[in-house]
Amino acid sequence: MFRKAVGHIISCKDASRLVSRREEAPLTAWQRLVLRLHLSVCAACTRFEKQIAFLRDAMRQYRQ
Amino acid sequence: MAAADLSRDLEPQRGYLLRVARLQLRDEALAEDVVQETLLAALAGSGFSGKSSLRTWLTGILKHKIVDAIRKKQREPTVAAAFGDVESEMDIEDFDAMFNERGGWDPKPAEWGNPQDALNQRQFLDVMDICLEKLPPNTARVFVMREVMELETDEICKELTISANNLWVILYRARMALRVCLEQNWFART
Repeated sequence: MFRKAVGHIISCKDASRLVSRREEAPLTAWQRLVLRLHLSVCAACTRFEKQIAFLRDAMRQYRQ
Repeated sequence: MAAADLSRDLEPQRGYLLRVARLQLRDEALAEDVVQETLLAALAGSGFSGKSSLRTWLTGILKHKIVDAIRKKQREPTVAAAFGDVESEMDIEDFDAMFNERGGWDPKPAEWGNPQDALNQRQFLDVMDICLEKLPPNTARVFVMREVMELETDEICKELTISANNLWVILYRARMALRVCLEQNWFART
């Protein structure tokens, strides 16, 4: 219950922006914390995170 | 590598270089020119050490040629107009449509199974091409600069005279749009 509440300090919309921004620049300690808590309770954003990582791999492959 | 060997190895790379140049420049004739210059520079130079792959080396040369071409274009106001308005591509609100009013996914990202398997399939790269071409021109350019040519973010900001914040928004939009396009045209097909 507590974990769930803490995980929702940020919305999925905010989490998706942090996941994307992390590709360009390191997040602040606070951003890392709230993102980690959110991902620990959110299956959809965990999926999104994996898809963004895949997109990066796919673009690398595109160049190969 | 002897010059004759090099010119033989360069030919198969032409298609790839042209694809990247087209995505960046959205101008067939200019893309052809830039690729031609890249291949000539590759033949003239002796920079290829064989340490990196031939393609990585060529991508490095192409990067400079494209940046030069963009700079030249930006100085010609009539041509610059054809590039479209960067500002209009930076409105993050468009993507709020992918979320409900409480900021939750609507619809949720689908399960992609083992996406790595797709990377070995020729058709997947074709779908990727189509998805990249569907992006707004400046969004595609920035995304390709970042993910294919691996330019640093400050380099991209400098070349295109945009702020770091603008760059983050553009890349976010590119990823969101590509994710949806790949999901609809590849991962959700079966």
